[in-house]
Amino acid sequence: MGLPAYVKRQRQAPILSPANGVRVVEMVVGGLLVISLFELALHYDIRDPNLWVRYGISFVRGFWGTLGYIALVLPVSVALGFGAGWARVSRHRLLSWPSAAYIDFFRGIPLIVAILFAFLYGVDFIPERIRFFLEDALGISASSLPYAMAALALAAHSGAYQAEIFRAGFQSIPRGQVEAAEALGLRHFQSMTSVILPQTFRLSLPPLGNELAVLIKDTSVLGAFGASELVGLASEFTQQIPISGGQLVWQFAIWTAIALTYFVMTFLVTRVLHLLERRFRTPGLEVVSL
Amino acid sequence: MIRTEGIHKFFGALHVLRGITLEVARGDVLVIIGPSGSGKSTFLRCINLLVRPDEGRVFIDGVQVNRPEISPEWVREQVGMVFQSFNLFTHLTALQNVTLAPIRVKKLSKDKAEAKARELLARVGLAEKAEAYPAQLSGGQQQRVAIARALAMDPKAMLFDEPTSALDPEYIREVLDVMTNLARDGMTMIVVTHEMGFASSVASRIVFMDAGLILEEGPPAEIFEHPRNERTRAFVSKILR
Repeated sequence: MGLPAYVKRQRQAPILSPANGVRVVEMVVGGLLVISLFELALHYDIRDPNLWVRYGISFVRGFWGTLGYIALVLPVSVALGFGAGWARVSRHRLLSWPSAAYIDFFRGIPLIVAILFAFLYGVDFIPERIRFFLEDALGISASSLPYAMAALALAAHSGAYQAEIFRAGFQSIPRGQVEAAEALGLRHFQSMTSVILPQTFRLSLPPLGNELAVLIKDTSVLGAFGASELVGLASEFTQQIPISGGQLVWQFAIWTAIALTYFVMTFLVTRVLHLLERRFRTPGLEVVSL
Repeated sequence: MIRTEGIHKFFGALHVLRGITLEVARGDVLVIIGPSGSGKSTFLRCINLLVRPDEGRVFIDGVQVNRPEISPEWVREQVGMVFQSFNLFTHLTALQNVTLAPIRVKKLSKDKAEAKARELLARVGLAEKAEAYPAQLSGGQQQRVAIARALAMDPKAMLFDEPTSALDPEYIREVLDVMTNLARDGMTMIVVTHEMGFASSVASRIVFMDAGLILEEGPPAEIFEHPRNERTRAFVSKILR
């Protein structure tokens, strides 16, 4: 209603619009341009078979590793964030207080420090019986458990930020609508599922998209501890490159490829969330998305 | 139909209701007037237990309802409510706003609930707006949807909490018309309003409340033309001018 005309027009554009096509073309052309500039400057072809024969396997393993960490961290963080956000607005202090403490704790310490603690000491907190179960029944090696704990710390960190997003979503539901639901005879649980959550979901989607993009990129921090994902395996590989002439150029090529990979992943995820936003767009519940 | 005995309510140290005793017979329309802060809205909410009275008893059809054995949800099925700020569910269309409670609370099938909802929307003059979202409706239209939403639960009585106070002047008429028709059809109603035209033509009785007390009660002509209480007189002369 009160929005400037260009915002309205932008949000009404169909998904397969020329404008969106132009964006994709821009990206591809821009990417190619950067790569060829770099090739020109360094007199180097980024497709150099010498490099990719040696690094290719490492890259693919790293890519799958990254996808694996994303698959673990994303759902866990959303579940934590949603639960903590819900608990945060609860009238019961037994729920809201621990949730506030959790949010403050993880927002107050650097991500890399949280991960460090989980990596070094996290495994000690797993009860022995569960550790044996993980190792024997699920075949998770003892050496990979610290990485799983580190990934959970990342999920908890992002969960704290997501909790604030969901809290804001909950709190922006007008109190009057909850009262109206009560006045119609709906039980608390019914008004939660029919009135509050559907609106929280719509209002939280755009900021949630941003946070998930951050989370995807932050899985690279696990690489600093030697997790086998894109960044971790790449740094391992670059340390083995012989000191002779190729080193600098190879490093440049590898990190460029990795940067592009993260870019494409986050771009895809934000696009998917935009599609969801469109799908659930409701007059009166718009949030201007980025 | 609805009877209250000595209702008291405290908000902290604030004594909002100081013993409200009232009776509304089936088919009657009771209009409550009074300055803001006099406890009118709180009293309405005590009837459907959105606010629990601290003292006193609320009866609906002879059954005392403010007892722990009686679920507030059951009470709210008996008595519908319309709010000053409409409070439609933003994410649902007009039709879905009306069908939500029948489907979830009364477990009506979707088809039955929708057929009934369309009937009710037609009754409030909004048949063609069934698929519109609240944000696409004017204030008057939203309030009429809210009335249809409350009626969908087949309440025995309806509570209106200043239903036209948040409306632009040009939309007040259409909402009052719907309410007048409802009264003519025999609905038992308790209405908090300052619409004196509506009160004098539709109300069976008017109650003047001030500072949590009923100061005067009587037929519209008496309250508006010959108020006995001094404060009623002062209030009436202010709003009739």
